[in-house]
Amino acid sequence: MDSSEHDIYRAAIHGDREAFEMIIRTQSRALFAIAYGVLQNREEAEDVVQDTLVKAWKTRWRVRDPEKFPAWLSTIARHRARDVARRRRSVPFPTDTEEPIDPGNDAAAANLRENEVNEQVRAALSTLPELHRAALTLRYFEAMDYASIERTLGLSNGALRGILGRAMAAMRQRLRPALATME
Amino acid sequence: MPNDNIHDEIESWLAADVHDQLSSEERTALAQHLAACDSCRALQQEEKTMHQLLEKTLAQESADPAFEQRMVSRFREKVPAPNGGLIPFFAGLMRMRAAQITAVAALLLTLVQVGKLVTGEGGAFPSQQASLAFAAPPARDRSAVSSAGTIVTGANIPMEGVAEQANERGSTDSIQAKSRDELKKDLNDKSKGAPLTPSAAKMQEQEVDRPDEAGAAGGNKVESTILPAAVTPADSRKLIRNAQLDLEVVSYDAAVQRLTTFATEEHGFVATQSSAKLPNGKLQGTIVIKVAPDNLDRFLQKARGLGELKNQTLGTDDVTKAYLDTDARLRNAKRMEERLLDMLQKKTGKVSDLLEVEKELARVREQIEQMQGTLKYYDALVQYATVTITLAEKDLNEPAAFLLRETANLSLFSADVEKTFREVKSALQNAKAQIVQSNLERDNSGQATARMAILIAPEESDAVIARIKGMGRVQNFNVQTERVAQNGSGMSDTAKVERDKVQLNLVISRTGEEQSVQQTSLRIITSAVTDKVTQLKAAVSKAGGELRSSTFSRNPDGQEVANITLRVPMKNYPGLVASFDQLGEVKDLTVQRNDQPGTTANPETAPADVSLQIYSPGTIVSDETGLTATLRRTLGQGVAALMWSLRMIGVALAFLAPWALGIGLVGWLVVRFAKRRG
Repeated sequence: MDSSEHDIYRAAIHGDREAFEMIIRTQSRALFAIAYGVLQNREEAEDVVQDTLVKAWKTRWRVRDPEKFPAWLSTIARHRARDVARRRRSVPFPTDTEEPIDPGNDAAAANLRENEVNEQVRAALSTLPELHRAALTLRYFEAMDYASIERTLGLSNGALRGILGRAMAAMRQRLRPALATME
Repeated sequence: MPNDNIHDEIESWLAADVHDQLSSEERTALAQHLAACDSCRALQQEEKTMHQLLEKTLAQESADPAFEQRMVSRFREKVPAPNGGLIPFFAGLMRMRAAQITAVAALLLTLVQVGKLVTGEGGAFPSQQASLAFAAPPARDRSAVSSAGTIVTGANIPMEGVAEQANERGSTDSIQAKSRDELKKDLNDKSKGAPLTPSAAKMQEQEVDRPDEAGAAGGNKVESTILPAAVTPADSRKLIRNAQLDLEVVSYDAAVQRLTTFATEEHGFVATQSSAKLPNGKLQGTIVIKVAPDNLDRFLQKARGLGELKNQTLGTDDVTKAYLDTDARLRNAKRMEERLLDMLQKKTGKVSDLLEVEKELARVREQIEQMQGTLKYYDALVQYATVTITLAEKDLNEPAAFLLRETANLSLFSADVEKTFREVKSALQNAKAQIVQSNLERDNSGQATARMAILIAPEESDAVIARIKGMGRVQNFNVQTERVAQNGSGMSDTAKVERDKVQLNLVISRTGEEQSVQQTSLRIITSAVTDKVTQLKAAVSKAGGELRSSTFSRNPDGQEVANITLRVPMKNYPGLVASFDQLGEVKDLTVQRNDQPGTTANPETAPADVSLQIYSPGTIVSDETGLTATLRRTLGQGVAALMWSLRMIGVALAFLAPWALGIGLVGWLVVRFAKRRG
């Protein structure tokens, strides 16, 4: 973290709204990725990010070390998302409306196949531990380099590499049939 | 990352590879391992496909480009910027270290100041006092110089402090303050060429000091200071001097005579005189004497020798200004008069004008006369000093006579109240006595009481009271004598003493208990208490006695106690006491005899009181022993202990709960406040 970034975090902690808005601009996409990893639902993830930012502003005085601000933000987001997911569990998961399949249409068939793969990927993702999901979404949503992910999630380099390695391996295992068809 | 571990950790290596996060050395190391390891190579292929799939599926799920802007605007909506305000400002201020330190310092300073205020430790006062003390001597000098033309009075206080004394003088001479200042100016003007020599100044100081010594020696006595300097420094000054003396003399007439002589000696005269004779023959009066101002002091000194000086006041009223003003106005008026007269003499102008002039002339003349009168009045006042002397003969308040007032209270016991009441009344008819008040009342128990207030002529009082005493048995008699001073107070050897009528308050009643001649108390131990009590009662009635009270009680352990008090005539007393031996074993016998010499009571019929206690020894084993009783007691004690511990817990709760509640509340408030700020 360079010094200007550090200053921004410190200003935000001391109540500078402009600094905080700048943080929103730089961090909210990452937060969205994390929330999405937990919830796999865009609207809910967006709400979670919103709540996270408001809560972070109200409790910003709790952060003593500006270095840890991003990690703290992502922790709030993860907890918040987990709360939402837990509350949702009682409500039946909304299944995607089955579109009528027209096997004769080639494009439709391709589309259908693609949807199916998407569904499989999402299902595989949802079986991973929360942190693994967050690391994957950060990487693939925002194409963040490892250093940024480490800072966002508050991890060391070794830990992140291990997490991503295991996450990729687990995904591979779950999606092996789909992968086989792709090759 | 050690290269030999690549195979074991191939997953993370592959992931970092597809994510393009390996350093160039690491990439080479991985390539070497993959070239050697088939399984890992297969995995790498799979990993790459996986990576592509994820990029394709997940990348499209990422946030839309307008996402950040949306977040910012929604944040602004949800958390509106606070619009200033004092509280947020102070809260922000308090977060700053410098502001915190300043606040603490200010608090400490305030505490110190408050502490100083409370303890009254101020550095300012002593210096003020010092300056006052230094400022004082000049004031004294001034008074010494200026008092050359005036009299300083009221110097009866001992010398305590220069400043105080100077103040005292200032206040007593406040009337003269103005003239003094003017005088001082005059003196200064005069002495400009040749200032006051040190020796002269010293002399004046000594003169000022002298009265202080006299005052200290005289104690409470009123002393005055008269500076022998010239009384009138300049003839032009118009000073009205007056003095007031309170004297106590032995003989009023002699004092007046001598005062008249003194007045003549000092070229004065007695202006007015008034006196009054008091009931005790003492004289008191006021005499006003006019003397020449120059001789006032000598006159006063002479007058003080006449008797004891109780009070003295000396005053000087400077009327110079008023006098001069009036004088000037008078001259103006005179000039006006002249001009008016001129106008009249010229006899020009109309009649109405002449009338006007006449009117004006009359007015002016009236004014002139008025002012001339005023000036004459002043002159008269200034010409003579007025001395008002109040004379009082010694022991002015001595009583003229004393009155001896006797009050006698008599309580009579009579078996027949009404008969005695009638007897007393008839006895008084032949005596020099008067019944002021009498009443006879009978209460619901049949007891009669008569009350009388009788005034008896002093010469017959002793005889009458003695006769009344003989009509019954005297229970109480006392006489109070009061010596009442008439028209005054204190003692007097010469005053007459007269006896007033004797007031007798008489109460005749039956209620009074005839006092017993002998009191006996004893205890009798017996096994059958009830039987013996019956036996005793029979014996008492046989002996002609009466039973006054009896109680009977039985203790839980079976002991019976009977308390009996009775009264028998003295003649039957020995027989009754002898019969007690038959009742049981007599213990603790006490006999007390009250002989009342002088009473007319018959020794045969006089009553004797006996109080007895008849009791049984009681069972040795009481009901309070045995298994059930012990069990009951033990349980009772256990319950009591339990209740006690409960009470202790209650007390502890009462001690601690408020504190716990209070601390919890404060903590909660602090956390809440902090959260809200955040």
